[in-house]
Amino acid sequence: MAEYELDCLGEACPIPLVKTENRMKELAVGDTLIVIIDHSCALKNVPEWARKNNHTVEVEETGDSEWEIFIDKSA
Amino acid sequence: MKLSSNKHYQAWFKNPWTYVTGAILLSIFQIATIAVADGAWGVTGPFAVWGAWVYQAFGGNVDNWYFFSTEGGRAALNRTFLTDPASVRNLGVVVGALLATLLASQFKFKKIKNLRQVAAAVIGGLLMGYGSRIAFGCNIGALYSGISNLSVSGWVFALFMFAGAFVGSRLLVRYFMQ
Repeated sequence: MAEYELDCLGEACPIPLVKTENRMKELAVGDTLIVIIDHSCALKNVPEWARKNNHTVEVEETGDSEWEIFIDKSA
Repeated sequence: MKLSSNKHYQAWFKNPWTYVTGAILLSIFQIATIAVADGAWGVTGPFAVWGAWVYQAFGGNVDNWYFFSTEGGRAALNRTFLTDPASVRNLGVVVGALLATLLASQFKFKKIKNLRQVAAAVIGGLLMGYGSRIAFGCNIGALYSGISNLSVSGWVFALFMFAGAFVGSRLLVRYFMQ
């Protein structure tokens, strides 16, 4: 049930998505990854990828053009 | 109730529209462009014309450059920014994007993370600018407008663009994933 952060501030697409995919492989089931982004395209493709892989996703807007994407690894 | 939690505000200004909505709107606007402006939608063509205008302002002469020797090229040179539909349209793209990001409250000066980003942006920009001129268009003028106007050249462009994107994504993973 550990929580990890992945800082993708200043990274353009598709780097946040590829980094998220790689990092999620290292996590155990039940762990949460918090992806911090400031590119709106990552706001679309990161949650889309995670939902497609049956993870639970929550997005929080933390500032102007800044978001935290919470991904619970489910499988 | 706060504006930011209003569902109509969210649907129109905050959340990204779907790809289908975008595709339909682009189609309608590019038809409008052909109908009222001087031809199909293009983006990078005007950049070359702007460059020539600046060069001429400093006393340069592009009369015998092959690129401006065509009838269309000469006509574009003789216009001004405000009488050139493609230039005004490019300005509209920038102003529209700014407006959209401000309405969504998502404007931000993003910090540069490392020198690699600068190098990639500069090298990539130069390659794209040069490439789009020798290919007679970018992914809008050559690909999108080409295919939508039933030109085979658009499909040829697509083929090589995919090859370039494949190489580009390999480079991206190699140099930007640390």
